[in-house]
Amino acid sequence: MLRLIVRRVLLMLATAIAISALLFFTVTQLLGSPAEMMLGQDASPQAVAALNAAYGFDRPAASQYLHWLGGALSGDLGRSYTTQQSVAAAIAERIPVTLELTLWSIALAVIAAVVCNTIPVARGVLQPAVTVANLVGITVPNFMLGVSLIFVLSVKLNLLPSTGWVPWSDGIGVHLQHMIMPVLTLSAYYFGAFSIVYRAEYANVVQRPFIRVAQAKGLSDWRVAFRHAAPNAVLPVITFVGVSIGQLTGGAVVTETIFSMPGTGRLFVAAIEARDFPVMLAMGMLIVVGVVVMNLLADIGYAIANPQIRHGS
Amino acid sequence: MTRPGRWIGAGLVAAIAIVAIAAPLLAPQDPYASGTDMLALPSTAHRLGTDDLGRDVLSRVIYGAQASLAIGFGAALVAMLIGVPVGLVAGTLRGVIDVALAAVIDLFIALPGLVLALIITVMVAPSLRNLILVLGFVMWPPIARLVRGQALAIREMLFVEAARATGGTPLWIIRHHVWPGVLPVVAAQFATSVSFAIFTSASLSFLGLGIPPPAADWGGMVRSGYDYLAINPWMSLAPGAAVSLTVMGFYVIGRSFR
Repeated sequence: MLRLIVRRVLLMLATAIAISALLFFTVTQLLGSPAEMMLGQDASPQAVAALNAAYGFDRPAASQYLHWLGGALSGDLGRSYTTQQSVAAAIAERIPVTLELTLWSIALAVIAAVVCNTIPVARGVLQPAVTVANLVGITVPNFMLGVSLIFVLSVKLNLLPSTGWVPWSDGIGVHLQHMIMPVLTLSAYYFGAFSIVYRAEYANVVQRPFIRVAQAKGLSDWRVAFRHAAPNAVLPVITFVGVSIGQLTGGAVVTETIFSMPGTGRLFVAAIEARDFPVMLAMGMLIVVGVVVMNLLADIGYAIANPQIRHGS
Repeated sequence: MTRPGRWIGAGLVAAIAIVAIAAPLLAPQDPYASGTDMLALPSTAHRLGTDDLGRDVLSRVIYGAQASLAIGFGAALVAMLIGVPVGLVAGTLRGVIDVALAAVIDLFIALPGLVLALIITVMVAPSLRNLILVLGFVMWPPIARLVRGQALAIREMLFVEAARATGGTPLWIIRHHVWPGVLPVVAAQFATSVSFAIFTSASLSFLGLGIPPPAADWGGMVRSGYDYLAINPWMSLAPGAAVSLTVMGFYVIGRSFR
């Protein structure tokens, strides 16, 4: 077990370093000289050379990469070209917003997917409605959902604030009001995706003998569905959540942009618009590391849950 | 979502294809001609009103179908051209090559496609051709994984073992035994890939990295109309609905074959 974990962690470190190198070299090679970007097209060659020397852009790419990696490992991700703010500080400041948005969305998507697809089919009318809701969640792009929500709930009905974000300290009520539409927007896709996974497993579980036993005992359909079938069908959804984290960051980028939320996704888009290389690189690495760590946790979770792997056969 | 779903999907896709091909006949006005009547609400002259430059929204939505379908089909084709051979080789040959290719595939699948596409698009500058290439590159890994899985199953079958025993080369086995077995799965996956490409490219253009203006591009239209939701909501909602229906059509077709 321990050996398996050590092997996975080593593999994870190797992957993260390989990707960071790939990211660093492609971004530096393809984006052109950062000095020209910072000083503009008509900067004098002397000014460009001076800036290159100051930032170390004139050194070989491998040496620049090692310098960056060394800094990154000690928590120094460089400074933004546009705001001159420390990249690490900028990310640390914005990450709570993204985490909160993502966690609410996952929670809502999992609960909604499980509840909607567990309600006994006896209430038959619901089933087609849930199928349509799943399809809408998966295929309607989240920018369209966000814009539609703003149009209906803010512009037409004037129920919720359209954009922006308010910290907890300004009041829990106001804070949550600003979160409702972003969370609905981001969770819709995952509601659909989790539903597909959950439904497939649920259909298997209800075939098993213990469900027949529960029914034979005379338990109500609702009790059999929620107390006996659902807990046994929810496991694949949980592992799927781990694998979806990477894709969720993509959704968070769009959602934060629609609702002008001060999260890391918005930071990433602004960095891309401004070709702000240190921020782009740091955000890219953050996502890669996040994805790799989540996959590692999913692997270890599998190993713990499965005795065959645990005992190394 | 089986038979009826397939027909609904096929109907949607056919309708959008007709709109794209017959755009010059269907569009009531020139989609690029700006006018003095800006942000007008729907009227008989402009069925969906006009945008912030006075252009006819309906005509722009109709022309937008062309770019969307071009990107969807183009990117899915590029992804197939990379993913299918990689999957076939990995699944049929096994061994070190398979382990290496499978590791690369798993890694790429874990990375968020939209973020990857954002980074690459900003480096190569967005244009119709580049978007097709970038999205194709982002989308090949799931296809390779699917094909690899199918190939693995087929190569264990008796008739393939017989072919190997009688001296069939790997290439011959792929062509005559594995490929025909993989083909139906690939065909279904193609529809799903088109839907994903249209979805992602629309998200990219919503974030400002689509085909550059003044091109009629659905994601970009939603973005520019977003500031005027209170004045002419159709500027945003109409192209948004168009993307949604197109993605839905292709997605339903792909899923009905699972």
